[in-house]
Amino acid sequence: MVTAVAGSATDKPATAEELARRLHQAAEAGTAVIPVGGGRASGMGDVTERRGVALHTSRLDRVIEHSQADMVVTVEAGITLEALQAHLAKSGQFLPIDPFNSPGHTIGGLLATGWSGPLRLRFGSARDFLIGIRVALPDGKLASGGGRVVKNVSGYDMMKLHYGALGSLGVIVAASFKVFPRPLHDVTLEASRPSFDEAWTEAERVLSLPLAPSALELFSDGRMLARFSGSPDAVNRTAAECGWATGDESVWSDHSRRAPERWARIAVPRTELKRILKALPHGEGWWASPGVGIAHWPVDATANAVLDMRAKVESAGGTLVMLSAPPDFMQQVGAWGTPPPTLEIMRRLKDAFDPKGILNPGRFVV
Amino acid sequence: MRYSPSVGQELRRIVGRDYVIDNHNDLRIFERDGSIEGAMPDAIVLPASSEQVADVMFVAAKNRIPVVPRGAGTGLSGGAVTIYGGIALQMSRMRRIIEIDPIAQTALVEPGVVNQELSLVAARHGLFYAPDPSSQKACTVGGNAAENSGGPHCLYYGVTTNHVLGMEVVLADGSLHWVSGDAPDRTGLDLCGILVGSEGTLCAITKVKVRLLRVPPSVATLLAAFPSIETASQAVSAVIGNGIVPAALEMMDNVTVGAVEAHYHAGYPTEAGAVLLVEVDGIAESTRELMAKIREILAQSSGFAMREAQTPAERELLWAGRKGAIGALGRIKPNYYLHDGVVPRSRLPQVLSAVGEIGIHYKLPVANVFHAGDGNLHPNILFDMRDRGVLHQVEEAGEEMLRAVVELGGALSGEHGIGLEKAAFMPWVFTEDDLDAMQRVKAAFDQQAILNPGKIFPDATRKPVRLAGRSGLALEAKWW
Repeated sequence: MVTAVAGSATDKPATAEELARRLHQAAEAGTAVIPVGGGRASGMGDVTERRGVALHTSRLDRVIEHSQADMVVTVEAGITLEALQAHLAKSGQFLPIDPFNSPGHTIGGLLATGWSGPLRLRFGSARDFLIGIRVALPDGKLASGGGRVVKNVSGYDMMKLHYGALGSLGVIVAASFKVFPRPLHDVTLEASRPSFDEAWTEAERVLSLPLAPSALELFSDGRMLARFSGSPDAVNRTAAECGWATGDESVWSDHSRRAPERWARIAVPRTELKRILKALPHGEGWWASPGVGIAHWPVDATANAVLDMRAKVESAGGTLVMLSAPPDFMQQVGAWGTPPPTLEIMRRLKDAFDPKGILNPGRFVV
Repeated sequence: MRYSPSVGQELRRIVGRDYVIDNHNDLRIFERDGSIEGAMPDAIVLPASSEQVADVMFVAAKNRIPVVPRGAGTGLSGGAVTIYGGIALQMSRMRRIIEIDPIAQTALVEPGVVNQELSLVAARHGLFYAPDPSSQKACTVGGNAAENSGGPHCLYYGVTTNHVLGMEVVLADGSLHWVSGDAPDRTGLDLCGILVGSEGTLCAITKVKVRLLRVPPSVATLLAAFPSIETASQAVSAVIGNGIVPAALEMMDNVTVGAVEAHYHAGYPTEAGAVLLVEVDGIAESTRELMAKIREILAQSSGFAMREAQTPAERELLWAGRKGAIGALGRIKPNYYLHDGVVPRSRLPQVLSAVGEIGIHYKLPVANVFHAGDGNLHPNILFDMRDRGVLHQVEEAGEEMLRAVVELGGALSGEHGIGLEKAAFMPWVFTEDDLDAMQRVKAAFDQQAILNPGKIFPDATRKPVRLAGRSGLALEAKWW
């Protein structure tokens, strides 16, 4: 699904400076700009208000610096997650991001969309280990925030400003991360329960084991996948206590390939997730991270059913975001749902960075 | 406009007669925070509720009076200093733990709740609040959120921003908002993320929702001696290079160890060139296994006299030495001044030798006690305020140390904030365009620039902070 960029011209600058210049030119001309990374999340958001230039980051794909000893990596935004993981793996390190609709996500795209996967349970999202960012702004400037050290309170946390902002304030051109050592030991376990209630209870039991799993996924058919990582004795003891069958690590990469054509992400307070999952229309499939409060819903139901569901999710304090859908369906349900009460403040930020509104016009919340 | 008696009347109507302090002698108490530079506010206002904070802010905005939110005043970068006068918004009456939800593992607190108090109360549910600045006996959760504070255990658990789920804030126009909350992945821009660590320049925090973690069933704490700072630094890199991220990994140099041992009698080896305090937590199998491996790695890196705490009391004592180290340094000289620059971990030996040389050059003793695992330095320059001309020397030495940090690819501050102290140094690490982007954020939140003016950004109307000129002030040794 590339609804957002249909009919647009494409531009693939080779350097961050060139990208910033193109962005500036577009801003001067009032041309809309749709930043594109790997295109894996290009179905996200409302259909853009007008056509424009698709500004690709795909040629910005270098590892700028990887300090193995410092466990810090700086990359250009267009590098794919897989290319970066392969680079880090040579040093026994990794970035704990495992988004769905893989492979092919770029780092810039992942930061702009804020997508996460099962490992969020243990590691948090990229928001938690993004330590520096460089962004091209519509006025042609390149502005950086943070740095290349793991702990830093110098100036505002500009990483948070752009993380999950869907390129609405600028185009991410580079980022620095704190990376992690590969766990000493890592086991994958699986189990299944005949009913939702039994599966949920079992998932809760496993989530509260003294060594918490680093990922635990629950599926609408009662299947469960868990992962434990850490020191060998601790992991083996916990795996025994868990009592599930040993699975193969490859189930995780299979899981991350899930990419329904029409799907929604439900994010609610963890304690509300069970009730929300039970409220999904009968017969709909889903998978969820019960320890995080996130579920993904490949939508078979009608637009009205999605809107009903969104009302329930929002009254539980959460959000239901369409990650991809055919344009007419997207228009019926809207990508985002009820705007946040702080929309006015967000608009002031948008105006401060993109006064002409050329970045992803109409696609994001602001 | 300036603060006036009529503004004072208006503020008294909001918070009550006793909770506006504007007579000169009483104001002196709030002249400074944990840093060295001070300035008098025009008034101290102590609100009791979010609504009162909003009303106070509204009055301040109407009269264009600066407002500086203030928690416990333990900050080390001058963040709570009212350098342009105005209102010091003292949050100490707002100190309720509103709710601890043991199922969701969250706490909702008012900003004036003391950091350690939250963990003590959460402990009844087997939970704790992870960020643990060394000032945690005094500093507040609201102040921590404003500064994005760290602490020894942030190596594994992350800093404050990783634990704040949402906040209720009052903006510069007096409007009250909730940003983020219990659910992950909120729609729209991450206002909570940008407000945490904004040092009181974008909002006043009136409630904080934080994540609590389960108290680990087992903890192992090890003290290890090394012949030199270099060997200890190499050991730090070796531990982490072996895929082990301990809960905490702290270093103290010989000067610090001497002072700590004299004060606490915690069994610190005074003959060591440096010591490491290493802690791992988790289930018993994990701590046992990791500690055995860590001991092996440390031994290979010339570690000796390794001593593992056998009882909770012993562990407490080891940590008391670390967290009270700066106080203990008072035995050497009555005053200290420290920066908290961060370098990539592998640059620790280089930066520490530069710090040592700078100390020798200025003939000032320097004691290092810091978060080695994070590369977060805390060189304490020790001095006696009564010595003529010493302040200028101290300031120059500090600036040179920070310069060395930056030259090695580091950052100005790991956890203390930029505040007043390092605002002038921001152009060392950020370009004009970088700072311009940050200024746009400032303007979007606070058009009149009344919230904590003079902080974070280089201030053309002020010279870089000078310590010289203030004398006769015996600073009490503090936590940091």
